[in-house]
Amino acid sequence: MAVELDPTVLPVMHKRARPVQRSLLTRVAGGVFMAFAALLCFWLFVLPVVVVALSSVAAHWSGTMLPDGFSMRWFERLGSSDFDALSTSLEIGFGVAVLGTILGLWLALALEGRDRRGLGALVDTIAMMPNGVPSVVLGLAVLIAYHKRPLDLSSSAAIVVFVQLALVLPFCYRCAAAALRPELTILREAAASLGAPPAMVLRRVVLPQLVPAIRASLALGFALSLGELGATLTVYPPGFATVPIVVVGQVERGYYLPASALSLILLLVSLAALLLIAARVPRRRTD
Amino acid sequence: MSSLSTPDSPDALGDARRAATFASHAAAVRRRERAAQWHLLFLAVVVLGPLVIYPLVRLVLLSLTGPHGGFGFQAYGNFFGNPETRGVVGTTLWILFASAGLASLLGVALASLLFFKPFPGARLVTRFLELFVAFPSFLVAFTLIFLYGSQGSVSIGLQRLFHLQAPPLDFLFGVGGVILAEVVFYAPFVVRPTLASFATLDMRLIEAARSLGANGLMVAFKVILPLAWPGIAAGTILCFLLTLNEFGILLVLGSAHLITLPVAIYSSATVDLDLPTAAAGAVVMLMMSLSLYALYRQVNRRKVRGAR
Repeated sequence: MAVELDPTVLPVMHKRARPVQRSLLTRVAGGVFMAFAALLCFWLFVLPVVVVALSSVAAHWSGTMLPDGFSMRWFERLGSSDFDALSTSLEIGFGVAVLGTILGLWLALALEGRDRRGLGALVDTIAMMPNGVPSVVLGLAVLIAYHKRPLDLSSSAAIVVFVQLALVLPFCYRCAAAALRPELTILREAAASLGAPPAMVLRRVVLPQLVPAIRASLALGFALSLGELGATLTVYPPGFATVPIVVVGQVERGYYLPASALSLILLLVSLAALLLIAARVPRRRTD
Repeated sequence: MSSLSTPDSPDALGDARRAATFASHAAAVRRRERAAQWHLLFLAVVVLGPLVIYPLVRLVLLSLTGPHGGFGFQAYGNFFGNPETRGVVGTTLWILFASAGLASLLGVALASLLFFKPFPGARLVTRFLELFVAFPSFLVAFTLIFLYGSQGSVSIGLQRLFHLQAPPLDFLFGVGGVILAEVVFYAPFVVRPTLASFATLDMRLIEAARSLGANGLMVAFKVILPLAWPGIAAGTILCFLLTLNEFGILLVLGSAHLITLPVAIYSSATVDLDLPTAAAGAVVMLMMSLSLYALYRQVNRRKVRGAR
C-alpha cells in the first residue's frame, strides 16, 4: 500500500513551518552538553562505588593517580575482629529486618483506613516520627531511657537492636501500608462474606497478597540496618562492633585500604541479600 | 433469589424484623470499631511506647533537669556556653542550606535531563541512582578521600598536569568536603520524587505549549514547573530533612575542624559522658528536624490530595 510520492510535488508548506533545522553549532553544543552531563553523572555517582572496589584490591595507593599494583592482601589480612563485626552486623540486620517487618505489618493492618483522624492519625504520626528524628538524637534518647534501672540494656546488644528497630519501623510500616490497596479490601470482604473467619482471611487472602511488600520490607530493613552508623555509634556497648563502626574507626586512624576491603564485603553482602530477598518480586502490573 | 427480591411479607412484622437486623448490624459495626480502637491503643502503648515515646520523653525531661535534680535550664546553658560549641547552630544551618540547596538544584536538573532529554545510558543511571540510596553515607565520605584528598587521584592528577610543587586540593576535611559529600549523597534523593512527579505530567500539555510556539525555557517555567512543583517541593524538603539528620559524613570529614550539632551532641555524650548537656543539644536539634518533618508531611499530604 506504499504510495509512491512524486518527489517533484512537495506538499505546500508555510514558510515558517518548515522542519526545524538547527545550525551545526547548536547541535555540537547540544552534544557537548549531553556528554558533559553523562560524564558528570558518572563522575558523581558511579565513581565512588568504583573507587571502593578499586582501593580494596590495591596493593598500595597513596600519591599516585591509580593504585600501584593489585593484590588481595587486604582481604587476607582481615582479622577475627573484622569477621566478628561482620557476623554481628548480619545477625543484627537479620533480627531488625524480621522484627521491623512484623511490627510494620501489624501497624499497617491495625491502621488500615483509620490513619486520617482520631487515635489512628496520632498512632500513624508517632509511628512515622523516627523518620524525622536525627539518628544521633534517637540513639541518645534510647541510651538515656535504658541505661539504668528499671531497665538496663546498656551492656547488651539488645539496645542496638532496639534503636535500629525504632529507626527502621517507619520504612517497614510504609511498605506494608502502601501494599494494602483498595482491591485487597474487596477481596477480604468477599472472603469474609463467604464465611471465612478473620484468622483464615488473614492467612489465606491478605498475607499471600502482601508477599511482595513483605519481601521489600525485609530487604529495606536489612540494608538500612547494615549501613546504620549514628544511632549505633551512640549506644553500642563495650566489646561490641558492627562493620560501620569498625570502618569509621579505621578511617579515623588512617587505615584506608583495610577499611575499603571491609566496606566492599559489606556492600557485596547487602547487595546479595537484597537480590536474594527481592529478586523474585513480581513487577506490579502497570495499568 | 425471588424470595429475596420480592418481599412476600410487607407487613409490620417484616419491618420490625428488618429494623432489628439493621440494629444488630449497626451494633456489630460499632463493637468492631471499638475493638479496633482498643487494638490501636494497645499497639501504641506496647510497641510505640517503649520504642519511640518513652525515650523521647526521657530525653526532654533530662535536658530540663537542673544539677541537683530540680527543674532548670542549666544544661542548655552548658551546651551553648561551651566556647567550642559556640555558634554551632549557625554552622549547622549554614552547611544545611549550602549542601541541601545545591543537592536540590542538582537533583532537579538531573531529573529533568533524565526525563526530557535522555542521553545514552540514562536508564542505567536511573537504576543506579535507585541503588545509590542503599549506599551508606559514611562510605561516600570515605571514597571522596581517595578522589579529592590531598593525596587523592584528582589532586595528584592536577599536580602532574600543571607541574605543581604541592598537591593543589586541600579542602576535604572541612566545610568544602562536607558540602561536596552531602551534595553527592543527597542529590539522588531529590531525583526520585522529581522523576515520579514528572511521570504524572500530561505530555499533551507540553506538546500543546510547544505547538503554540513556546520555547524550551518557557515550557519549563510556565508549564512543567507549575504542574510538577508539589513533587519537587516534597523532594526538596525531604532532602533538607535528611541532610540535617546526616551524621556519618560529618563524623568522617568534619569531626576534626568543624563542630556541627550532631557531632557536638555525639562528643558530649560519648567523650565527655555528660548526658544532660548532650540532651539539651539533642532537644534543640529535635525541634529543628521535627518542624521540617511536619512541613514535609503537610506538603506531601497536599500533594496526595491534589493528585486525586
